[in-house]
Amino acid sequence: MTPLVASLLRQAWLSLAGWIAFGLLVEGMIGFRTPALLDDPIRREMFRLAHAHGTLLNLVLVAAAICARLEMVTLPPAVAWPLRLAVLLMPVGFLLGGAWHFKGDPGLGIALVPLGALLLLGAVAQLGTRKSDS
Amino acid sequence: MIAPAARKLFARAAFVVALALVGISGVVWALWPNYAGVRRGQADAGYLESGDCRKCHEPEYASWRATFHRTMTREAAPENVRGDFERDNVLEFDGVRAEMKREGDRYFVLLADARGKTQRLEIDRTVGSRRMQQYLTKQGDRWMRLPVAYDLQQKRWMHLNGSFFRPDGGAYTQHVAEWNSNCVFCHNVKAQPGFDWDRRTWKTEVAELGIACGACHGPAAEHAQRALSPLTRYGWHLDLASTAPTGVTNPAKIDSDRALMICAHCHGQRVPEPEERIRTILSTGDPFDAGADLRAFFRPVQADTKVGEFSFATRFWADGSPRLTAYESQALTRSKCFTAGQAGARITCISCHSMHGGDPRGQLTTEKQTNLACTQCHEAFAAPTRLAAHTRHAPNSRGSSCFECHMPRVVFGVMAAHRTHDISIPRPSETIRFAKPNACNQCHQDWSVNRALAETRRLWPKADPGEGAADSAFDVPEGLRALFAGDAVQRALTAAAMHPATEANGPLLLEALQDRYPIVRYFAANALAATHPELPKPDYLASAPVRETTLRTWYAHWPPAALGEARAARERLAAGRAEADVEVGE
Repeated sequence: MTPLVASLLRQAWLSLAGWIAFGLLVEGMIGFRTPALLDDPIRREMFRLAHAHGTLLNLVLVAAAICARLEMVTLPPAVAWPLRLAVLLMPVGFLLGGAWHFKGDPGLGIALVPLGALLLLGAVAQLGTRKSDS
Repeated sequence: MIAPAARKLFARAAFVVALALVGISGVVWALWPNYAGVRRGQADAGYLESGDCRKCHEPEYASWRATFHRTMTREAAPENVRGDFERDNVLEFDGVRAEMKREGDRYFVLLADARGKTQRLEIDRTVGSRRMQQYLTKQGDRWMRLPVAYDLQQKRWMHLNGSFFRPDGGAYTQHVAEWNSNCVFCHNVKAQPGFDWDRRTWKTEVAELGIACGACHGPAAEHAQRALSPLTRYGWHLDLASTAPTGVTNPAKIDSDRALMICAHCHGQRVPEPEERIRTILSTGDPFDAGADLRAFFRPVQADTKVGEFSFATRFWADGSPRLTAYESQALTRSKCFTAGQAGARITCISCHSMHGGDPRGQLTTEKQTNLACTQCHEAFAAPTRLAAHTRHAPNSRGSSCFECHMPRVVFGVMAAHRTHDISIPRPSETIRFAKPNACNQCHQDWSVNRALAETRRLWPKADPGEGAADSAFDVPEGLRALFAGDAVQRALTAAAMHPATEANGPLLLEALQDRYPIVRYFAANALAATHPELPKPDYLASAPVRETTLRTWYAHWPPAALGEARAARERLAAGRAEADVEVGE
């Protein structure tokens, strides 16, 4: 296993653990009828999106690392770093956007989401074109 | 140094990203709503529907949706019709049999008079959903209010003759009214009657049925158009002056007097100013938008207002205070709470009422249903000891409720007694001077007005309770005097104040069921039935012989002497009373 793959896997599993824990927190808040979540539709939606993106994108990161380990794709730094950053930025953006938000709109943290989405799109596009080169 | 292969790869990825961005932008652009052009060229240009506002203001939409404002006017659909069209669905009144029927999702009223003449009318729209629901049928280009309605409080069909201050014997159809020229203005958003004065035709439209966002916030198209951009919205959130929101009114953030005018547009009956403006109002539509100066288009109806020969005087007590609902603005603006305040920064409707919170019945939060409504300004009376010293009543009693003394229920509307918004100092002498019920005797009905005056002098020696009356009628318990000697509004309000009936006032209420005005009998019957649900409830709309048959079962529950005294009192006091029929606002 290359250091890069090992590093990707470490980030993915640790982040996954973090977002699973966050999911537990959200479930707990729903279960115990916490007003801070249940009475705040924006926060509820943002937290749900943070949990969903945090878990699914980290599974994508795991998949990318496995593909790289099996030499199905190559992950140069120009692909790996945007991917790693996107996987971090998108759920964190949703989390921050829900934790502190305006009336009717998510907080400024939501700006991280489109930034992460563009990085993700760029990384995935590079992976796709590289795959077709091989 | 980037390798050529990597550069090529990066360029391809950048191309994919750019392509995606262009595609996304194209879709967003193609689906970009054009709020700014909504209803262009019409009187309601720029007025959005509540569903548009909901996209950004979900909590406000949800709280508004729970209100009776929303359901003021609806299409006659199963989710909106509240009357009983299937079981207890027949009303016989004044020789006419009205049968209300549901056929699938359509609703009908079948009228049959004693001569066998029948009429089948389809209900097209509903008006009201809290105390009573009225029904509209469409006849050509007009919507007409039907003479039968459903009493949601008593869960029964009623005839509108029973809800007005008119004695028995009126024509069956005397309260059939035209929606296009009357109800449309206050029960919907931005009414445009569309009357063609030459051809005498109607093309009535409204921005939205019912009282929705536009009624209080005005035309929001420009606001919504700008709000489509997240950059603009975040500019508003961050208070960047260059992106200040425009084109929409927030009553909580404007001059308090202008905020009051938004409510006064409907809760303050008015006439066009100048009167000739009625022509353009009936043709092109209501010119008022939330936030504008209402006085530029209308003047409030007062006791001395006349339209032609028609006088509005009977809608007011003799001191000029309104005695019907829909005049709350006139009442509040004559209160010291209002007149002593600084123009633009004083008490207004939303100082107490919440349009997006609290109980929809009254639109008051739990907090504002208590003395906290008043102590937000009159802080000194928040302390129980200070309150008791002020009221001379126990702190937790009715006598220490600000509302009971300063906003007594001396206003009638929609089959109920309401609190006046003329917030004033209780003075028993007002009953002598203005023939107006006073707060003290509303509770102490077994006291005469002169006794209430004497108690006032004893408890508040420094106050000015006014002069006593030499007339011996004011030495009679006020509940008894007002119930029989007052005019129909006084009698109805007195019967309402006797709810639920007691052993002492039961005989009086039984006598009130002999009243010529069905609305007085309505309150009397409800008060009696609240105490004796086991007895057959007298039907306030039934003919005198039918009522008498029912009442015989009631007479057995009181000593004959008490019943005899009540009858003698009614005959004595009613003999000298002067009636003044009241044209209740429609």
